[in-house]
Amino acid sequence: MKNLFILSVILFLHTLVVVGQGNCKLSITGKVLDDSKNALPGATVFIKEHNIGKVTDTDGVYVFSELCEGDYILEIKFLGYETQVVNLNLRKSERIETILNTEDRLLSEVVVSDHPEPVGKTSNYGTLSGKALEELRGKSLGESLQNITGVNTIQSGPAIFKPVIHGVHSQRILILNNGVRQEGQQWGAEHAPEIDPFIASNLVVVKDAGAIKYGTEALGGVVILTPAELATNSQLGGQFHVIGSSNGRAGIVSGMLEGGITKRKGWGWRIQGTGKKSGDLHAPDYNLSNTGFRELNYSASTGYHNNGNGFEIYYSHFNTTIGILRGSVVGSSEDLATALEQEPPQNTQPFTYRISQPRQEVNHDLVKLNGHIRKGDNLFTVQYGLQINNRKEFDVRRGTLNEVPALGYNLYTHTLDAEWEKTKDKSRKRSVGINGMYQDNNKIDGTQNIPFIPNYISYSTGLFWIEKLSTSTWDWEMGARYDLKYYNVVGFDFRNELYRSKLNFNNASATFAGTLKINSQSSFTSSLGSSWRPPNVAELYSLGTHQSAAAIEYGLMLDKVTNEVIEPAKLNLNVEQALKWVSTYRIQKGKFNAEISGYLNYIFNYIYLRPIGVTKNTRGIFPYFRYTQTDASFLGADFLLNYSISSKLSLGSKISLLKASDETNKDYLIFIPSNRYEVSTRYNAPNIQSWTNPYLEIKFKYVSKQYRAPRVVPIRDIIDAKEQGVDLFANDNRNFDFVDAPNGYFLVSLSAGISRPIQKSKLDLRISADNLTNTAYREYSNRMRYYADDIGRNISIGLKYSF
Amino acid sequence: MKLYLKILFLFFIAAALMFLGACKNEDPTPENIPELITKVILKFSPIGGGPSITVTATDPDGGGVQDIEVDGAINLERDSQYAMSLELINELYLPGDPEYNITEAVQQEGEEHQFFFSFEEGIFLSPTGTGNIKESSSSQTGSINYLDEDASGLPIGIHTSWTTLNVVASFKTFRVVLKHQPEIKSSMSTSLDGESDLDISFVLNVN
Repeated sequence: MKNLFILSVILFLHTLVVVGQGNCKLSITGKVLDDSKNALPGATVFIKEHNIGKVTDTDGVYVFSELCEGDYILEIKFLGYETQVVNLNLRKSERIETILNTEDRLLSEVVVSDHPEPVGKTSNYGTLSGKALEELRGKSLGESLQNITGVNTIQSGPAIFKPVIHGVHSQRILILNNGVRQEGQQWGAEHAPEIDPFIASNLVVVKDAGAIKYGTEALGGVVILTPAELATNSQLGGQFHVIGSSNGRAGIVSGMLEGGITKRKGWGWRIQGTGKKSGDLHAPDYNLSNTGFRELNYSASTGYHNNGNGFEIYYSHFNTTIGILRGSVVGSSEDLATALEQEPPQNTQPFTYRISQPRQEVNHDLVKLNGHIRKGDNLFTVQYGLQINNRKEFDVRRGTLNEVPALGYNLYTHTLDAEWEKTKDKSRKRSVGINGMYQDNNKIDGTQNIPFIPNYISYSTGLFWIEKLSTSTWDWEMGARYDLKYYNVVGFDFRNELYRSKLNFNNASATFAGTLKINSQSSFTSSLGSSWRPPNVAELYSLGTHQSAAAIEYGLMLDKVTNEVIEPAKLNLNVEQALKWVSTYRIQKGKFNAEISGYLNYIFNYIYLRPIGVTKNTRGIFPYFRYTQTDASFLGADFLLNYSISSKLSLGSKISLLKASDETNKDYLIFIPSNRYEVSTRYNAPNIQSWTNPYLEIKFKYVSKQYRAPRVVPIRDIIDAKEQGVDLFANDNRNFDFVDAPNGYFLVSLSAGISRPIQKSKLDLRISADNLTNTAYREYSNRMRYYADDIGRNISIGLKYSF
Repeated sequence: MKLYLKILFLFFIAAALMFLGACKNEDPTPENIPELITKVILKFSPIGGGPSITVTATDPDGGGVQDIEVDGAINLERDSQYAMSLELINELYLPGDPEYNITEAVQQEGEEHQFFFSFEEGIFLSPTGTGNIKESSSSQTGSINYLDEDASGLPIGIHTSWTTLNVVASFKTFRVVLKHQPEIKSSMSTSLDGESDLDISFVLNVN
């Protein structure tokens, strides 16, 4: 396998050297402006025949290079503006300027644009960009993504959001952060993605299984986070955000500067940083003690782009400290029983910015180097990424141990990707590539706990092949990939004795997708994908109680009776394998715009925590869970409808329906987001003198109770039965929950905004109120629901200055 | 362009070396686990003299699934007064190690620890009632005869005093809970505050 890496490196170095000629050297440089002649950053420019697209930078500038002589049709789009089509007969390099007029149609927050750059024509996807994304600035990645239909979150308190696509999350979703597969410590439901969403100019969620290009583990879908392209002209540009929120008395400051380098054509750079600070958040009726958080992130990048060739260096740092609700700290089942019954949660204190135990401290560093060369119809890309992830979890512990993390890991990930893309007769495209990854995970010494997961080294490699074909009525895409994964694990068992294990996994993935262009207004996309995922180390070797859960977790590789580590050869372990079908019908007809998706994801050997028994130790009685495999199905539908009542007023609606079942045991899975319905109406007011684009939007959201939840076994029943010598789970280990699913809830939110162009710069002011009626509610997929209500009314004011 | 090809080349060589150079075989160091209580000893010493009664609860496998084992019932004499002391032991250490005896650590950090007890009626003359472990915030509790206190004058409970009634009782439950209450322990705090470090039920007979 090591040879394979060398071989791939050599191969690609070869391909890099054999380039340089070609007679297609023309370029189109354009600038997109709004009707008040302000630059429009984030507008998409698309050349349909070539299936290439660009997003305008902060100066509203885009560049297409390496174009051949010929006729081109440019489609220039931006949310809230009328689409412009520009016909060009290209004989020499051209410079053009386009003015987009404000559109009176509904400004929905979900852009149903034509194929954002990272997505194929045959994908089922949802995106957030431009104005829609600007209106979500300040929210975390997971929280922002919730605005895409079919995307929910699994939460652990008010600041930890993990994206859920069509009912699956964590290791079943791949996050592509600026082209690099995010490798953080995603093995816990309370581990949020270590990404600053301020870097993104575009967020795309691909809902198909097995986005073939990116590797295993995309069973549920892919989240793609793309920054704007680096500037290629030397003008200085930038953006500054200041946001204040009432709930948590939180403040956010974010800034970005970018430009080119004088006399160095093609060079661009950007620096960016974000700081966040929040104190305890509050529910309508009480303070949520120890739920504050702090975040400090920064990134820098520079690159050179010329005639389709270029390279880029990118560095980003992410750092956060997040408090976990103090009232969720439990030492035993008795404590849990007490915590479940108390409201306000136990140990509720007055508001503070102080973050004490339990808390998480997470650092994530990313270095990316990326190069691409175009030679005629061929595009070669190589990319290396280094990610250093450091995670510490602090628990309430005895004496001086309080300041020692109860759990800590350093995870190093090196990734090396190479791809060859060939376009043939404009209608055919082939891409072939290889991905390699080396991972090293080590515990932080001195936690004075048996490590929850072992140390490990992991290698993985994959090869993929994708073919795309376009005809006048159909777009087709088919792809296949093969992956290998190897783990070398060193850990400590329940006796604190060392064990070693080596595991190998390999499997194939494939997708087949097509889009039927019914007419100019509607299309139908359908895709069938098979994807797989090797079990992660936590699922294999977890041992112990996890933060704030009065439950013991055991991995798949621990013996069911003795808890000894099983040798891999002695256990017939199957990898998780998904078969996902998704279909989307899109229509855009006059004032009406709709998108309807249906999906079925059947996951074989689905790994989940299943209650197995109840044990008694010196701390009391504990239910224990073991990672187990079953077959699970996720059946659902997403609806997105927009209707423009008049040129100023519009209506929008979003619906997500989902049913998730444990097929083998004829049971329901836990923490599956319930059905949700949203209706919004937006009023785009006329400009007021030099103030532009004022708007007012009101949103109503109803989330129903999760009726498809597993049975309830109260913790007191578990304790009482065990006291009588009865183990409630010994003969009936169906899934269970400690409490009933919370009732459905209804939320109202309001937002308004206005812009003010000041010469070449622009000021945007936005004010919003979430949970306007200060409703006390609990969300089924938020783990904090056991202990406390969700957060109450939050009023935010945001100011953005861009130049 | 030549220059950046060179840079890329060097860079990929470096990356390839990183992939290959990463080979480690040294074992990680095991963690000390000072918080684990593997053995709890209850010792009832008759005030009037005589042999003391000792009961031991042992956890055979720490983080494993085997239940704790108690080596028998607490057999007290009726109409007698006892001084009870608790001993908490972490058997992953040797008897000489400071981590071996957890009782001392609890004593030193008395300001954030307290033992709570519950028992059935018809056993003790003193304390009366059913102890001070609360089932819910509204339940009433009795007092315990604590014989020790922390630096703030609040009880800890490593040492307590118990007087049995002059009646025979069999198969009664005697429960001991140790709560960790950092920044929580006060004259108002109860067994519902803080986290359980210990929670064991014993069988008690009065002969």
